[in-house]
Amino acid sequence: MDYILHLAILIAIYTILSQSLSIVAGYSGQLSLAHAGFYGIGAYTTALLSVNFGLSVFVTLPMAMLLSGIIAFIVSKIAVKTVDDYYIIITLGIQVVIFSILNNWQEVTRGPLGIPAIPSIKIFGFAFDSKLSFLILSVFIVAIIWYLINNLVKSPFGRVLRALSEDEIFTKSLGKNVYQAKIISFTISGMLASIAGVLYAHYISYIDPTSFTIDESIFILSIVIIGGMRNLKTIFLATVFLVLLPEALRFVGMPSNIAANIRQIIYGIALILVIFQYGNNRDKLKTKRINKANA
Amino acid sequence: MQIIINIIISLSLILLLAQSFKIIYLSVKFFHLAHAISITLGAYFTYLFSIEIGFNLIVSIIIAITVSVIISLIIYLVIYKPLQNKKIPNWQLLIASLGIYVVLQNLVSMYFGDDTKSFRTWEVKEGHQILGAYITDVQIITIVVSIVVLILSWLLIEKTNIGKQIKAVSSNPSLSNIFGISTNKAIVSSFILGSGLASIAGVLIATDTDMTPTMGFNWLLYAVVAMIIGGMGKMRYLFMGALLLATAQHLSAYYLDSKWMNATAYIILIVFLFFKPYGFSGKKLKKAEL
Repeated sequence: MDYILHLAILIAIYTILSQSLSIVAGYSGQLSLAHAGFYGIGAYTTALLSVNFGLSVFVTLPMAMLLSGIIAFIVSKIAVKTVDDYYIIITLGIQVVIFSILNNWQEVTRGPLGIPAIPSIKIFGFAFDSKLSFLILSVFIVAIIWYLINNLVKSPFGRVLRALSEDEIFTKSLGKNVYQAKIISFTISGMLASIAGVLYAHYISYIDPTSFTIDESIFILSIVIIGGMRNLKTIFLATVFLVLLPEALRFVGMPSNIAANIRQIIYGIALILVIFQYGNNRDKLKTKRINKANA
Repeated sequence: MQIIINIIISLSLILLLAQSFKIIYLSVKFFHLAHAISITLGAYFTYLFSIEIGFNLIVSIIIAITVSVIISLIIYLVIYKPLQNKKIPNWQLLIASLGIYVVLQNLVSMYFGDDTKSFRTWEVKEGHQILGAYITDVQIITIVVSIVVLILSWLLIEKTNIGKQIKAVSSNPSLSNIFGISTNKAIVSSFILGSGLASIAGVLIATDTDMTPTMGFNWLLYAVVAMIIGGMGKMRYLFMGALLLATAQHLSAYYLDSKWMNATAYIILIVFLFFKPYGFSGKKLKKAEL
C-alpha cells in the first residue's frame, strides 16, 4: 500500500512539473530544457532554509518561488532573444550551468553528498510525515495548480500565448507585447516548477544534484510532448504512464539496471513516433490557403 | 606550458567535432543531436572489434568508423528523410534526433555496461618532456591526426565536386535542384563525411581518456558551443570559436577547478548568444526566404 501511495505522490510531483512546462512549451511555443533546473532550485532552497535555519514551509515555499522566479526571469530575458533550435540549445546550457552550481558549489550545497535530514512539512502543528497525509497535501496542491494553469491559459493572456506560438509576427502586429508575454510565461512556469521541488525535497527528505540533471529535463519535456503539448488532461495521463512504466517493467521481472535503460528507450521511441505522427508544418497550411485564394 | 599543451589537445578535438557537426548542420539545417552517438559508436565499436573479437587495432578502427557511418546513414534515410519530406519545423526534427540519441545511447549502455571501457592494450608510458610540460605519445597522435583529417576535410569541402555540391545545397536547395544537383545525394555525402569525422574524434578521445556511454553528448555540446560562437562562416571563425572555448575551459580549470569546465563553456555560449548572436563571423543564418 505504501508503495502505491509513493507512486501516487511521484505522479503528483511530475504532474506539477509537466503542466507548468506546458505553459512554456505548449502555449508560448518555447521548448525549454531548463525545467529540471528550476525544480532543483526549489528543492535546494527549501532544503537549505529548513535544515540550516529551521524555517517553516510558509517561509521556504515563497522564498523558493521568489528565487526561481528571479532566475527564470533573468534566464528568459537572455533566451527570448533566440528562436527554435537555438532556444533549445541555450536552455540546455542554462540547465547545465544550474546543475554544475548545485553539484560544485560545495560550501553551500554540499555538492554530490546532497542534503540529508530535511524535516517534513508542518502546517499549524500537524506534520505531514505519513505517506497518506502527504499524498492528500500534494493532490490538494496539484488541484490548485491545475485550476490556476487552466484559468491562465483561458484568460486573455493565455490567448496571446497561443497566438504567438502560432504566428509571432502576426501577434506583434496586433499590438501585443510578444517579448513580455514570453518572459512572463517562462517566469510563471519556473515558479510553479519550484513548488514541485519543495514537495519533492520534503517528501524524500534527502536530495542530491543527480535528481536535477539534463536527463530529468528531457524526461519532463518528453512527458509534455507525448501528452500533446497543450492539453492538461492528456499531459496528466502521459505523466501517469511514464512514471508507472519503469514499475511495470519491474513487475515483468526485468532487473532494475536494464529496466532503467528500457524505460529511456521507450520514451525515446515515443518521442520519435510522436514527431512522426503529429509533426506538422504550419507553412503548408498557409500555402493551401494561398492556393485557394489564387484559384 | 602544460596548460598550452592541454589547450592545443582539446582545441584540435573540439575543432574536429565542430567541423563534423557543421558539415551536417549546413546541409540539413537542424541540430542533429544524434551526432553524439557517432562519437560514442566510433569508440565502442573499436573496443568491440579489437578487444572482444580480437582484430588488429588499425583494422578494427577502420571497421568501427565504417559501421558508425552506416548507422548514421540509416538514421538519415529511415527517420530524417521522411520527416524532412513532411517539411516539419526544425525544432521538431531536433526533438526527434534527441529521441534517437536517447534510444541508441541506452542500447550502448545495455550492451556494453555503464562502466568505463578501454581498448588500450599497450603500456601507459611517461610522456615526453617539452619545456617543462608533459605530453604523451597518444596526445601527439591525437593532435597530428586531427590536424591532418581537418585539412583533408577542408580540401574535400572547398576543392572537390562533392564539397561544392554540399555547399550549393546548403546555401540554396531549390536553386541547386534546378542546376541538377541532387539534394539527397549532397545530404548523404555530408552525413558520410560528418559522421566519419565524428567517429575518428571518438576513437581519438577514447584512446586518451577511455570511454563511457555518455561521452559523446558532452563532447558534442562543446562542438555545438564552438560552432555557435564561431558562427556559420568560414573555417577560421570556427577555429576562433574552438580556440576561445578551449582556452576559457582550461583557464577555468587552472584557476578554479576542473569541475567548472562545463559551466564555463555554457556561460560563454550564453554571453555570446546575448551580445553577438551570429558569432564571430557575423554571418546570418538563412532562417527565412522571400
